[in-house]
Amino acid sequence: MNDCAGSGEASVSSSGDQAAPSKEAGKKKRNLPGMPDPNAEVVALSPKTLLATNRFVCEICNKGFQRDQNLQLHRRGHNLPWKLRQRSSNEVKKRVYVCPEPTCVHHDPSRALGDLTGIKKHFCRKHGEKKWKCDKCSKKYAVQSDLKAHLKICGTKEYKCDCGTMFSRRDSFITHRAFCDVLAKDSEKAQNAVTTPIADEDCKVQAVVSSTPPTPPTPPPASEPPAVPSPAAPEPLPPPVTPSTAVVSSDSPIQNPDLAESPRTNSNGTITKQVMEETTAKSRFSGICSSSSSTGCSNSNSFASLTGICSSSRSSSSNGITSSSSIFPSVTGICSSTRSSSSNGSTGNISVFPSLTGVCSSSRSSSSNGSTRSSSIFASSTGICSSSSSSSSSRSSSSSSIFTRLTGICSSSSSSSSNRSSSSSTFASLFASSTASGSLPSRAPQFTDWFQSVAPAPPPEIEPPSSMEPISLCLAMNHSSSVFGSAGQERMQYAAAPQPAMSATALLQKAAQMGATTTNSSLLRGLGILSSTSSSSGQHEWSGRQIDTDGATLAAGLGLGLPCDDGSGLKELMLGTPSVFGPKHPTLDLLGLGMAAGGGPTSGLSALITSMGGNLDVAATAGSFDSGEFCGEELGRRS
Amino acid sequence: MQNPNIIHEKYSSSSSSSRNESPEPVSDAKWAPRLLRECASAISNKDSAKMHHLLWMLNELASPYGDCNQKLAFYFLQALFCKATDTGLRCYKTLTSAAEKSKSFDSSRKLILKFQEVSPWTTFGHVASNGAILEALDGENKLHIIDISNTFCTQWPTLLEALATRNDETPHLKLTVVVTESILVKSSSVMKEVAQRMEKFARLMGVPFEFNIVNIGLNNLKELMTKESLNIQEEEALAVNCIGALRKVEVDERGDFIRMVQSLNPKVVTIVEHEADFSSTRNDFVKCFEECLRFYTLYFEMLDESFPTTSNERLVIERECSKCIVKVLACDNGDQLGDGERRERGNQWSQRLRECFTPFPLNDDAVDDVKALLKRYKPGWSLVLPQVDQLSPGIYLTWREEQVVWASAWKPLEKLMEGVYHDKPISDLFSIRFASRWATAIGACPYILAFGCYCG
Repeated sequence: MNDCAGSGEASVSSSGDQAAPSKEAGKKKRNLPGMPDPNAEVVALSPKTLLATNRFVCEICNKGFQRDQNLQLHRRGHNLPWKLRQRSSNEVKKRVYVCPEPTCVHHDPSRALGDLTGIKKHFCRKHGEKKWKCDKCSKKYAVQSDLKAHLKICGTKEYKCDCGTMFSRRDSFITHRAFCDVLAKDSEKAQNAVTTPIADEDCKVQAVVSSTPPTPPTPPPASEPPAVPSPAAPEPLPPPVTPSTAVVSSDSPIQNPDLAESPRTNSNGTITKQVMEETTAKSRFSGICSSSSSTGCSNSNSFASLTGICSSSRSSSSNGITSSSSIFPSVTGICSSTRSSSSNGSTGNISVFPSLTGVCSSSRSSSSNGSTRSSSIFASSTGICSSSSSSSSSRSSSSSSIFTRLTGICSSSSSSSSNRSSSSSTFASLFASSTASGSLPSRAPQFTDWFQSVAPAPPPEIEPPSSMEPISLCLAMNHSSSVFGSAGQERMQYAAAPQPAMSATALLQKAAQMGATTTNSSLLRGLGILSSTSSSSGQHEWSGRQIDTDGATLAAGLGLGLPCDDGSGLKELMLGTPSVFGPKHPTLDLLGLGMAAGGGPTSGLSALITSMGGNLDVAATAGSFDSGEFCGEELGRRS
Repeated sequence: MQNPNIIHEKYSSSSSSSRNESPEPVSDAKWAPRLLRECASAISNKDSAKMHHLLWMLNELASPYGDCNQKLAFYFLQALFCKATDTGLRCYKTLTSAAEKSKSFDSSRKLILKFQEVSPWTTFGHVASNGAILEALDGENKLHIIDISNTFCTQWPTLLEALATRNDETPHLKLTVVVTESILVKSSSVMKEVAQRMEKFARLMGVPFEFNIVNIGLNNLKELMTKESLNIQEEEALAVNCIGALRKVEVDERGDFIRMVQSLNPKVVTIVEHEADFSSTRNDFVKCFEECLRFYTLYFEMLDESFPTTSNERLVIERECSKCIVKVLACDNGDQLGDGERRERGNQWSQRLRECFTPFPLNDDAVDDVKALLKRYKPGWSLVLPQVDQLSPGIYLTWREEQVVWASAWKPLEKLMEGVYHDKPISDLFSIRFASRWATAIGACPYILAFGCYCG
């Protein structure tokens, strides 16, 4: 709670501070806001009560106090009987508070906040009027303490763009960011990076692309570009220090600090530390994407587009058994790829894609010691083009052709049990091609690498994946929202919870740092577009369907927040789904993005989700290019 | 400065006979305006000898790289020379094509951003317009902004950010940029770059966004700007943003242009113009020259204060001015050139605008934003709020107490039944969208009007 003000400031205004936390994310793990102790008593206060000041009034002098304790102390001055509640930490039952706003993520008891002040500030910031205005810069705040904190630094802060230009003014920084070349340049870099690394398997689809990738069980091939170290490469299976580290970005960055108090318990009863980046969150999306990386080596990406969804989940555990499954129902088409690798254990991947029009999914699972099983089920009513390539050859060009913008469906799945040798770099190539770089990657880098390279501009930093990823994911998340917009133009679908107050500036700053990510993202949007064009019908419904399979919370993940059943084929699909997700989580965490559950498996899910966001973003980006051109290029190349 | 003064002394001693008004001593800090004025009047009077003499002298003194006086002398001399030799059109075309050649996205961006960084000259209008647009379109889900301006979209990032942080749901924004530059090729390539960045940025901000560029030559502006060509949908809340746009329209067509804007039925129209009158004086060379000189003297001084001496950006901006000066002063029938430069003052614009619109006062937030903006620049800038008795409702940016830029916002007049434009009263009456769609579909305007009347 202490850092409330600071955090608010950080989120609202700026970016400056945010970089730092992200870097230290590894060390300084914060709990995801609103993961209260399950035993706590949930308190719901009305907005009125919440905003009431001075509820406790002294009968002598009519002075009001916000807390009873303060009143009691005050009564002492009147020589009235007073009694301070003695609190011993054990006896007092912990209370958690939910936000009175029904559409808010923190309205759900599972995301209740641990202290009253926190929920008050949250309510004001998110759902209240910004009535505190800075005279100097005319920035407005809903919470007075936020303004006070801002006043201390107003005008002193500097905004720095990647290009080296410093700005003392927020709006000039914003304008500059919009027009600065850094984004463009980074995109070129990223593009190169993208081309090089490739995933073993991928799938691409017209509408949807998903890749699953990540950690290759074995070290990356020598061919890997030095510039982009794959996190997994050096140590495929890092010893798990923490059961799982999940990085979750939440919709509102602002609250992170205050909310972070309670450790979240996962299904196994172990405490999962979640790293919350202050910077990360901000998307009004209410968190569509969350990524979890277990033991630092994993990446997950997923793309969700209105019409199509691409999700990738990856979970790796050194000792355990990892299973990840993704279920994507999409009206128009979905491409998802799942990959999970475990060194000692057994890995199973299952992807089920039902899609009305088409689905593309690829799943790959590889385990070095264990047994690998991957199965992909594609059902498409209209037709599916699926190509599966399991090959040790570096890249399959054929598969890539699949994802065409056709109305039909293309799916390519390649499953390679051999370590990463295989490759359908389709996915990667797709992106690469979209970026316009003429050369496709000659070798098949791992998907992971690809992703990594995409994300933070400077590849080296990627090394400690756990810390870095969150950032990129977060960014992606933000972007993703925009993606939706661009693709579908119907915003409602994806905005599960309209949480406005993300700090745009912070976002910018973040973007500046992670220029690459941002840029990349621009490349991909085309996919989304493509998909949308091909089947327009699917757009609206998209959001809701993800998920819940027999009760397991799966996916809240898409985070769309929409209720799941639209009658879209999801349900049917669901049936098919194995309970990969493991423990059922009681709560359906629509907005929470999978943070709720906590279990190892779940985290995978969340990762999946997250990744979606990220990819999405990417996909969205593609759109920036002329989609038409893009297609053309792609085709031309393919042919 | 030294050199010019010396020469000027020579000049004043030698020609004192012909100059009855040289009350100011030699230490004249503003020698250029004075010489230029004399030269202009000589041209106007067809005093050939004096004209030649002054032109020659100015040519000796002037330099585009010198101080303010020298720059003024240089650029106005160019215009005067063109006027005297009747080569204005040619000169203007040369200047334009030269400028086009050196123009690229990079240079334009650098120029504009730098200018915004050092001077509120342009940002003032952006902030005021954005404030009005945000207020007028508050709560709407689908926004459509028609941007007829010369800002290369530098106005929009902050608006996107404001939309992104809006309390309610982020609306969908369609931005249609009307490119009016007479040479479309170059600017369209520039706009392509701009488009990419805007789209990227909108994604970054999480604002659902659609970006369109409409290339419409200025001469056709009026005819070609229709709901269809601009792809205006009925359900969109429309804003028309005119920054430096009105002055590009030929004087005689301005009324039509404004009516055309009105026919689009926008929720708000934002107008930003320089506070100068090259329009009513256009037939009086000397007066027009005076006004032009006044305005550009201010402008050059402003640039002088804002930019470092050796700034390339400043040089380019000044060259842009030279085009305008030549256009205004030396191109008598240059109206067919397309790029009008006949500025009008705020109250003149207001007079025109009042035919179709009624003022949309800026709210306190917008005014505060403008104030906050000005605080961040060097001293000398201030804001003049509309006076009750004042003709023009907008706000003024002043530079050293002189009004230089005028910004205002307008909304359509509430003429219901007597409205000239059928669709307007209808959609005013029915906020429900289908009504107007229905109306157009049926094409039975009278009925609808009657119906609307009934309901209203």
